[in-house]
Amino acid sequence: MSELLPLLVAVPIVGALVGLVVGYKFERLAWPLAVVTSLAHTALAAFVAFEVYAGGEPLSYAVGGFQPPFGIELVVDGLNAAVVVLVAAVALGILAYARRAGPHSAAFYTGYLLLVAGLSGMSVTGDMFNLYVFLEITGLAAYALVATGDDGRSAVGALKYLLVGTVGASLFLVGIGYAFVATGTLNMADLAEKLAGVGYGSTLVRASFAFVVTGLAVKTALYPLHTWQPEAYASAPDSVSALISALVSTVSAYALGRVIFSVYTVDFLSSVAFAREFVLVLAGISIIAGSVLAVMQTELKRMLAYSSVSQFGLVVAAFAIANDAAVTGGVVHLVGHAVMKGGLFLAVGAIAARTGARYVGEFDGLAARAPLLSAALATLSLSMVGVPPAVGFVGKWYIALGAIQSQLWPIAVVILLSTLLTLAYFLRIVERMYFRSAAPREAPAERSTGTGAAAVADGGANDDSDTDDERPTLGRGSDVDFGSPSAGMVAVILVAALLAVALGPLVSTFEPLLEPTLDLLLQP
Amino acid sequence: MTDIPSLRPLAAVAVPAVAIAFIYASNRRPNVREAWTLLAAAATFLIVASMVPGVLAGDVYVTNLGAFVPLGGEDVVEFTLQADALGMLFGLLASLLWLVTSFYSIGYMRGLHEHSQTRYFAAFAASVASAVGVAFAANLLVLFVFYELLTVATYPLVGHDETAESRAAGRKYLAYTFGGGVAVLAGTVLVYVLAGSVAFTPGGIEGLSTADPTLARAAFALLTLGFGVKAALMPVHSWLPDAMVAPTPVSGLLHAVAVVKSGVFGIARVVLEVFGPQTVGDLGVGVPLAAVAAFTLLMASIIALRQDNLKRRLAYSTVSQLSYIVLGLGIGASMGGDAARFALIGGLLHIPAHAFMKLTLFFCAGIIHVETHTDDISDMAGIGKRMPLTMAAFGIAAAGMAGIPLVAGFVSKFYLLVGTASGGAVAFTVALLVSGVLNIAYFWPVFYQAFFESEMPGGHDRKPLVEHRIGGRADVAADGGHKSDENADVGEGSALTGGNGGASARANEVQKPADPNGDYAVDRHPSDHVKTTEQGGELGDGATEMADHEADDHDDHDHHHEGGPPTGGWETRSWLGGESTWFMLGPILTAAAGSIVLGIVPGRAVFLRIVEQVVTAATPAMAATAGVLF
Amino acid sequence: MIWELLLTRYNYIVVALLLPIGAYMMIENRNLVKKVIGMNIFQTGIFLFFITSAYREGGSPPIVGSGGEAATYVSPLPHVLILTAIVVGVSLTAVALALIVRIYTEYGTLDEVNLREVRADE
Repeated sequence: MSELLPLLVAVPIVGALVGLVVGYKFERLAWPLAVVTSLAHTALAAFVAFEVYAGGEPLSYAVGGFQPPFGIELVVDGLNAAVVVLVAAVALGILAYARRAGPHSAAFYTGYLLLVAGLSGMSVTGDMFNLYVFLEITGLAAYALVATGDDGRSAVGALKYLLVGTVGASLFLVGIGYAFVATGTLNMADLAEKLAGVGYGSTLVRASFAFVVTGLAVKTALYPLHTWQPEAYASAPDSVSALISALVSTVSAYALGRVIFSVYTVDFLSSVAFAREFVLVLAGISIIAGSVLAVMQTELKRMLAYSSVSQFGLVVAAFAIANDAAVTGGVVHLVGHAVMKGGLFLAVGAIAARTGARYVGEFDGLAARAPLLSAALATLSLSMVGVPPAVGFVGKWYIALGAIQSQLWPIAVVILLSTLLTLAYFLRIVERMYFRSAAPREAPAERSTGTGAAAVADGGANDDSDTDDERPTLGRGSDVDFGSPSAGMVAVILVAALLAVALGPLVSTFEPLLEPTLDLLLQP
Repeated sequence: MTDIPSLRPLAAVAVPAVAIAFIYASNRRPNVREAWTLLAAAATFLIVASMVPGVLAGDVYVTNLGAFVPLGGEDVVEFTLQADALGMLFGLLASLLWLVTSFYSIGYMRGLHEHSQTRYFAAFAASVASAVGVAFAANLLVLFVFYELLTVATYPLVGHDETAESRAAGRKYLAYTFGGGVAVLAGTVLVYVLAGSVAFTPGGIEGLSTADPTLARAAFALLTLGFGVKAALMPVHSWLPDAMVAPTPVSGLLHAVAVVKSGVFGIARVVLEVFGPQTVGDLGVGVPLAAVAAFTLLMASIIALRQDNLKRRLAYSTVSQLSYIVLGLGIGASMGGDAARFALIGGLLHIPAHAFMKLTLFFCAGIIHVETHTDDISDMAGIGKRMPLTMAAFGIAAAGMAGIPLVAGFVSKFYLLVGTASGGAVAFTVALLVSGVLNIAYFWPVFYQAFFESEMPGGHDRKPLVEHRIGGRADVAADGGHKSDENADVGEGSALTGGNGGASARANEVQKPADPNGDYAVDRHPSDHVKTTEQGGELGDGATEMADHEADDHDDHDHHHEGGPPTGGWETRSWLGGESTWFMLGPILTAAAGSIVLGIVPGRAVFLRIVEQVVTAATPAMAATAGVLF
Repeated sequence: MIWELLLTRYNYIVVALLLPIGAYMMIENRNLVKKVIGMNIFQTGIFLFFITSAYREGGSPPIVGSGGEAATYVSPLPHVLILTAIVVGVSLTAVALALIVRIYTEYGTLDEVNLREVRADE
């Protein structure tokens, strides 16, 4: 079965290239091709995950027949099988959404599939340098996708993302360099042994940990390394912000966990107390600062972006606590957050497509105008707050349990209080949607409203500061330019909302599957 | 005592939950929608009631839905619903009173032509589903799940009015209760880490008695703090009076029965079945809890004295009465023998007793609002003529609240008094007695006002306690706009400067038909109310027009600044239901009758037997010597 | 001592100079193109670090000649890695420049401060 692992990366790449060539000639075939590729990828991912969980053994594949530690190894164990399935499934769902929401171009679908390839690669690789390469492929595809919005704002957002993201990846590379100098190997499993041989007291090893963590923290967007994220999410088209918010940071956070457990190992964390404290403090500050910043935002997508900063603080804190309960919680929250945040971005996009509302102030009385979408948004928000039994709660329960088991009181307090912090910024949206009636006033449409369906439908006008003023406003919600979200778009959002609730109880079946992997990863 | 696998506990939760879908589906046909509500309420009650005989025989009905958040095969927390005696106490109460309240809701919501009725009934059903879930939760984590869902489900009810005031109340409500939820979660995690289990066990979870006492105390503090938010213990009570902006049936069922009782019930679970009375006593945390409760019940009674808005007075009364229960639990856990047993019985029995009485009182407040748009006690002079049955029921329930024999409150308070006195905790006995006096002090004026005073000018006395500032200082700076002070401030202006201040305690009250040419305090205090100038010209035109005017112009909470006796005083209505519809009178009389039944034949009413069973199970060592008072 | 360090470890000193210079340009320079150049310099510093780590005293290029094997080779692995990383760096630069062209056609400026002013009016 392990021969299938390289296909996880190869299928989307081939699909991307075929899509580009065919789509260049027949634009209308680009979407079906992307869907077929994505379907095949999802089936493959599901099959691999099934094999891993049913067999209870990690699958591994030596690329090109070069045996590790010299060659590149692809590994799927219980930890990343979930991530692989998540990447494939979320990508498929958002692709369904993008059919109507756009952007509509062969280049977009190519970038989309390349991003999926990069994310799959990051998920399955067992080699540090290979991880760097996939990190950059992911990054490049993401920069390009953010820029597919057709106003200047998305280009600026993408460039900022590119500059900061590259620095992050470069720091990661420096970290790899240090580890390589210390040990002479790049294979993760091999590194784990040899780093232990070098001794965790070595400055090289410690510095490499610091660089690797910092680099991945940039990609995960932990405070204060998050600066690229709000602008990138806010300026990208809705489909893209959903995809990136659901997957890119998620897979980076997974990579961070993978590096901590499989390369530096729990021994390193326990013998170098400072390393654990460093990560915990980073995560704790991220949880608080992200929420505080989210409360201050007026644009929905920026608010959701800052919310991600806070939520990934939780995940990274879980990885740093590094006991059974916490890591289980980290993985659950990783998957759960991807579903919830992706769904939230899609819902915000669909609401903007129907009513033009993109700012908090425009959400007054929305429940009357878009009842289904409002209900989905409210459900996803509450799940994110951590109302049981939704998945947001289950993740938080495990993480809090882990923190208290390890008697790390300060971070336990922060984790528990994060519920209230999350409530602070979601409550005002829910309250506006349901308990205020819409004031008949003009929406502030002269502000650039990002690049969602509305902007795409503009036909790509370049002199946007002029056309923006003529954009239809709130009172004319049925205007052609807004259109309305297709049934497919709404269906995808509803599925996300249902999943957010249903995944919570389902964790009890997932946890035993994860158990053997955690035993392996966390053994002292 | 045997565990019987049964789907009935699950069904009791699922029926109202499923009803939500039907209620939404029949959005456009109100009669069908209300039929679903009634059907679900009746079905839920029957399901719960069908388990009573088994529970009284010592059986426990269990629905096990499998592991909830497993971890490495060690101590699995299972998602289990079980109908045991303590759960039955709350479950039976919630489902019975939901049925009663459903009828009342229909009359109330239609009488006021409220908006968003579908959302209202759906949220109501969701709240009851969560409340029954709280009752039947078999461990702390499942309890927490439903506790949080209850918060979410009641939020739309608190914010129902969609006014600035109700939104603020809703925000405060969510902030307080989610904060409490965080504390509960933290306490639950801590208990799990300490004891390896969170399942409710009569007499307490084993591992906790041997755990590190500091951490165990922390867990107890977190759990009682978390549940104490909903139980409105001071100083985390202030959401409750604010939440009174909700429609009255909501205040009645949720803020006197389901929500606040879920908090009290949580504390009962924690004291009796998580820590166990023995461990609570050993840790020395029972007396502090009782002390907080005693402080709350005294302070809240004193504050209630000064509330002119009837619902706010009732809210503070709730805060006070809930503390009786907590006091009983706290003191009962820190004493041994019969005293503990009596205190526990008294505390637990006060859960249903208070529910019936307070529901009656809220229903009365609601029916007065629907029929006469009167919310303030000072406007209720002589209202007994207009609403004789209502005010009679009010009198009965109020008497029970004060602990007058033959009404439910007497029985539970008597147990509490006997328990505290025989256990030597005389300070608490005194606190209970003082609070009883205060109860009379704040309920009697309402009754007196209704039956023995006249709405005509000069027909009733001044109310210095309500109208004047505390300490009698008159020179306090102008009102800063605090909502709850507004009425008192204005009234003061009237009393001090208006020669005919006795005519109406509220100076900005527009209806003063008997005295159209007099000096109006509003003219001298124009800043009190922006609307005064435009109202000034229309003063002679009668109450109805003003009421319309208010309703149109106010985006503020429309229950304010209207009401009071109409021109020419209250008309006299018959004692046979002439005052309102039976949709509302029926539930009032039912609830009042319930309070009397509980007061006269407590031994026959099922609640006392359930309570005794709970207490016997929780304190097995003492069971042999225990006597029963009734 | 210092001289010896300078003479034997000059590669590392250059790395230590290139990284902050690149980072400084990225942060401080107002011109977007120069920011990208700064990014390149930053990356170049890292490349140099890797290449330096491959060096072995007296090693020869890792090419197995027809005449047999030399005693020591320099490590070939970092060279391979850096070839890959250079490719990545080139693609990044290309994407960055494409974005800059977009920004210039949109706003008519490459100056960060001016850009912020222009966008504030949006």
